Amino acid sequence: MSLEERILQELKAEVAARADRRRRARTARRLFAGAAAAGLAAAAAIAVPLLTGTERPAYALSRNPDGSIRVQIIEFRDPDRLEADLARHGVRADVTYLEPGTGCANALDGGGPAPEDKERLSADPEEWIVRPGDDDGHVVLIDPRDLKPGWTVVLRFGADPGSDRAMLGWTVVDGPAPECDVVRVPEPASGT
Amino acid sequence: MRRRQPDFATDPVAFETFHRRHVDAVTRFLARRVDDPHTVADLVAEVFLAVLDSAHTYRPGLGSEIGWLYGVARDTLSAERRRAVKQSRLTDRVGGRRQLDSDDLARLEERIDAERHARQAVPAMAGLPGGERAVLELVVVDRLTVTEAAAALGIRPGAAKMRMHRARRSLQASPLVTEGSTA
Repeated sequence: MSLEERILQELKAEVAARADRRRRARTARRLFAGAAAAGLAAAAAIAVPLLTGTERPAYALSRNPDGSIRVQIIEFRDPDRLEADLARHGVRADVTYLEPGTGCANALDGGGPAPEDKERLSADPEEWIVRPGDDDGHVVLIDPRDLKPGWTVVLRFGADPGSDRAMLGWTVVDGPAPECDVVRVPEPASGT
Repeated sequence: MRRRQPDFATDPVAFETFHRRHVDAVTRFLARRVDDPHTVADLVAEVFLAVLDSAHTYRPGLGSEIGWLYGVARDTLSAERRRAVKQSRLTDRVGGRRQLDSDDLARLEERIDAERHARQAVPAMAGLPGGERAVLELVVVDRLTVTEAAAALGIRPGAAKMRMHRARRSLQASPLVTEGSTA
């Protein structure tokens, strides 16, 4: 292959890779935009089977070189164990798995981080304490460096109405997490 | 709000068309300024990569595609000259140099040789102020119209015409400046 052709092939691969990254960034923005309605700081669709009843590990937790914690959710089981594992990594967490068609009655808007922190953290997804860790949405990244003493990371996983995917809602509260008062939630009228 | 990107930055097929239409012009543009075939080869790749980075600045109908592209090529070249450590974001390199076989090398050397007169004209303009030199270079050396040169430099056509006029006056003695179009 001539030099010109080789360079062209490299460049075309780069064009395709960039288009792909843009598409995924758009999807992520859309998902996060819907989070406000759920009363959470943010939400993302995660492609986790809701219940499969097998004996696989429910999640995989590891530490990245940059200090962030990577949680790969495989199944919606063992929230207490996930909380304990996160605590070992210095993160006080409150994990709730919601059955399809249910939600928490109480919104999580009280007692959160100070407004200036909230503003900074919501401005730039890269700086969020909790953020999606991969493009498929199996992975949640938690960055404990930005957590202040006493804060609790609240993770609520629930079924995304109208699909077999799950939604992750998260926020950070100053103090212990409020209990989730589980209520049935009606299906949304439109397919949003 | 971010402007919609032109197709050649988002669609590999449209990019290929764009690349095939302009790769020769870009290679010659660089051969008028650089006489080392390896550097020319690297820079051609860098210019088209910069096209992707700068695609949001492209305005169809303003000047011409080639004017905009030469602007990108100028910026790439001056960035390259400023950069002490060379690194490429593309993969086809070993030890910091693009791998050229003898055919690649022969083709590039042919183009570099064909542009040798133009290459000699560039230093002749070195005494001009930067803005005037940039317009004159694009018009006389690269054969752009003044409007295209304005698009390449991101200035108004009137301003480019003015600079061209001043540059010609300063360099009236040089035979090189009598070539080139002022359309």
